[in-house]
Amino acid sequence: MNDGQIRRRCLLVTVFFTCVLMGLGSRLALLHFRAGSQRVGLVDRKTIEQTVRVRRGAIVDCIGRDGILAIDLSVHDVCADPQVISRNGTVDQLLEQVGKIVDIERDRVRARLVREDRRFAYVARFVRDPVVREVRTLGMEGVFFEEALRRHYPHHNFMCHVLGFTNLEGKGCAGIEQSCDRFLRGSSGLYETEVDGRRHRRYDRRTLHIAPQHGANVHLTIDQQLQYMAERALDRVVEQHAPLSCHVIIQRVATGEILAMVSRPGYDLNDYRNVSAGDRLNRSIGIVFEPGSTLKAATVAAALNEGVVTPDSRFFCENGLWSAFGRPLRDSHGYGELTVRDIVKKSSNIGSAKIAIRLGKSRLARYLSDFGLGQRTGIDLPGEEHGILHPVGKWPGIAITRISIGQGVAVTGIQLLGVYCTIANEGVRMRPYVIKKVVDPDGNVLRSTRPEVLSRPITPRTAGQMRDMLERVTEKGGTGRRAAVEGVRVAGKTGTAQKPEHGGYSETNFVASFVGFVPADAPEIGILVVVDDPAEEYYGGLVAAPAFREIAAEAVRYLDISASGVELAGRTR
Amino acid sequence: MMRIGAIGARLQRISWIMVLTIAALMVIGIMFVYSAEYVSSGEWESSVPKYQRQIMWALAGIVCYFCVAAMDYHRLGKLSGWIYLIGILLLIVVLVPGVGVKKYGAQRWIRLPFFTMQPSELVKLAVLLALAQYMSRPDVDLRNMRTVLIVLALIGLPFVLIARQPDLGTAMVLVPFAFVMMLIAGVQVRVLVTIVVIGLMLVPVAWFNMDDYQQDRIRVFLGIDQDPLGTGWTKIQSKLAVGSGALVGKGFLRGTQNILGFLPRSVAPTDFIYSVIAEERGFIGSASVLILFAILIVCGMRTALLTRDKFGRLLAVGVVTILFAHTFVNIAMTIGLMPITGLPLPLLSYGGTFTISTMAGLGLLQSVYIRRPRNA
Repeated sequence: MNDGQIRRRCLLVTVFFTCVLMGLGSRLALLHFRAGSQRVGLVDRKTIEQTVRVRRGAIVDCIGRDGILAIDLSVHDVCADPQVISRNGTVDQLLEQVGKIVDIERDRVRARLVREDRRFAYVARFVRDPVVREVRTLGMEGVFFEEALRRHYPHHNFMCHVLGFTNLEGKGCAGIEQSCDRFLRGSSGLYETEVDGRRHRRYDRRTLHIAPQHGANVHLTIDQQLQYMAERALDRVVEQHAPLSCHVIIQRVATGEILAMVSRPGYDLNDYRNVSAGDRLNRSIGIVFEPGSTLKAATVAAALNEGVVTPDSRFFCENGLWSAFGRPLRDSHGYGELTVRDIVKKSSNIGSAKIAIRLGKSRLARYLSDFGLGQRTGIDLPGEEHGILHPVGKWPGIAITRISIGQGVAVTGIQLLGVYCTIANEGVRMRPYVIKKVVDPDGNVLRSTRPEVLSRPITPRTAGQMRDMLERVTEKGGTGRRAAVEGVRVAGKTGTAQKPEHGGYSETNFVASFVGFVPADAPEIGILVVVDDPAEEYYGGLVAAPAFREIAAEAVRYLDISASGVELAGRTR
Repeated sequence: MMRIGAIGARLQRISWIMVLTIAALMVIGIMFVYSAEYVSSGEWESSVPKYQRQIMWALAGIVCYFCVAAMDYHRLGKLSGWIYLIGILLLIVVLVPGVGVKKYGAQRWIRLPFFTMQPSELVKLAVLLALAQYMSRPDVDLRNMRTVLIVLALIGLPFVLIARQPDLGTAMVLVPFAFVMMLIAGVQVRVLVTIVVIGLMLVPVAWFNMDDYQQDRIRVFLGIDQDPLGTGWTKIQSKLAVGSGALVGKGFLRGTQNILGFLPRSVAPTDFIYSVIAEERGFIGSASVLILFAILIVCGMRTALLTRDKFGRLLAVGVVTILFAHTFVNIAMTIGLMPITGLPLPLLSYGGTFTISTMAGLGLLQSVYIRRPRNA
């Protein structure tokens, strides 16, 4: 082989090598310029998102931290990987062993565990640390734990209707939990972090960081101590009279702050799922009832304010039976001529109706409306009812004699108490409220409620006259004697309303009530007691007044309400 | 002993282009070994950073380069038989359990004090010397079939031993090497074609003798199996790395594929150094490296053309072919044109034995160039 041939072969190899390298170069160019971002998929997920759970705010009473009513507890969910469990065939073993440690609904859990296509199932939710430790020692493959926060109500059914509860997703579904949900829940944080090839997070390469905002604390106007007293008193009413339901509200007269609000039947907030809707109802704001005699105070106040009567105006009370507009109207006792004062004290239906007729229906309607009937008070709790007050144009002729004594009109407890608190508060109607303030974890006050005037239906003078008259109710010979408190001047009014049924009124079912305020001369708090359908006795003076007295007596002592002039008045009585 | 004057005279005939190209590639190599192992400032995967070791190897390689270049390659040619025997011996020793060190499932290393040695890298040079020496002997007739068979046996023995480790990548480099050597030595085209045809017929035999992971790699390469999170991971991530570099790259130490470990950390400084370069320096970087290799290859072939000595010519062509084969297989693997094989990129990849053997080979090339005829 000659040299020329070898040289040619050498050249050939050189050319070949160069061409191959150029080929590589063009392939490189293709890759480089056809932007690598085209291939994005499973392999290319280079960030991990992670949400940070936040603690829901606490609900505390007017005193603050010491009275925690609802807090978040750290708990765990026991979870399982159905795929692993079914593959290992340990479904029954798991149900058996975990079932020994914590209550589980075996059938439902089994149904979840046999789903081999799933990788996640709850076995038991919201368990405490000892349970977690025990389950962990079982060392079962495919069982794991997730941290969770669970809302806990340390006092169970205490203040249940005010507080409300949160559902399993942590959303407030009743009471304060619902109305203040946006404050309480805070906002969860979100982190997006780049990961490296081993799926480890790179904290120095965090692409998104939304700091978690822990929930704010809600401070209530409710006073735990008063609430407790009211609940105890009401429980005693339930024991004695076995009513369908009953409720109590205590309101601070000057501001409209609600100091206590109780409804019976109640329920354990930690177990809200096993409770009927009726039991969950906050009856103080959520149901309406015909107020009966308690509404006479509004009628009389209106007449006084309009000057159509004075406290000493006299009305003939027809000896207990009066036929007006073709229908009989009765008093429980027959009376002859009574002053307006005595009409209130004795709670004469006939007298009240005659006062109303003198006032006229349009003015009566206007006053009732000014006192807040037929409209929501705007209390900061969910589920408030309007009540029923028909427009005056739709009143039939007889209506004025009935509405004036609290029939044919329906109110909520908070509305009725509002009437009395207005009288107690020099004729100024305040908006009732339960949320004092909302404070975030850093101590910033996000919201603070200021007392708000809703209306001024009567003058201070009228209000003063009404206070005197209502005080007489609890004196000897009045219907509300049993509401009298030793050493304190009590003003109030009884109510015994027949419950409407089948287009008429029941002879056996009543709503007994007592609503009033203490002390009568310088009112501090208004108290409402409503007992729906008590079993035996049914007069407001017999059923509701004693409960009122019990609550008022303790409240006065607890709040250290100054007893100006009380010694004199109290001892002479 | 060589006199100072003689050394001076030789220095004047040295190919500075080759020296500078090699130097440039080595500097790039050290830079990107640094980058490939860089996690974040002041943090490395290992206690002694690989780039520091690589600097050491590079210095050793440079010394080796100039020693070999200064030496007359004919003297090495006379020793080629012994060198070949030592090489084969080392390949056998590495297969002995207890002596050879296993890494990543392959027994390729021999532990020596201070470092481990990879005999297969040195054997390539031994085979080169032996083959060049044998085929350039005046008494050897390349038209004789016996001669061709001896040549094939000389290559076949180390090929089988290396494939047994298993290190298929390195073994496969011997194939184009042998082919080109025979071509340049003057073996008839007819014979060469026959050898190629027989070789192709042996491919199925090879397939069934492969390990699972090797088959997987080829399946992934052929697109039969994507397996993006397993075997296909490196290929996809490497292509992503190259593709995301665009024209100018993400910047030195800024390559996310690399820094964040999407490119497996075990191979980024070694077999996949090129994708680190491509990602961080873009097309400009990767093309520059390619051009540097092309310069080296063209210079090497020019050496083969300039020399009048058949032994020297075969040496030059052999060195160039090994260099080319490594470069091509490695880069093609990086950009998804070849199956993943553990084949390093000459002068750039991290690795002691490989750096030294590459430098020795290039030293041989320089030695041939220096001793070219006066008039050329």
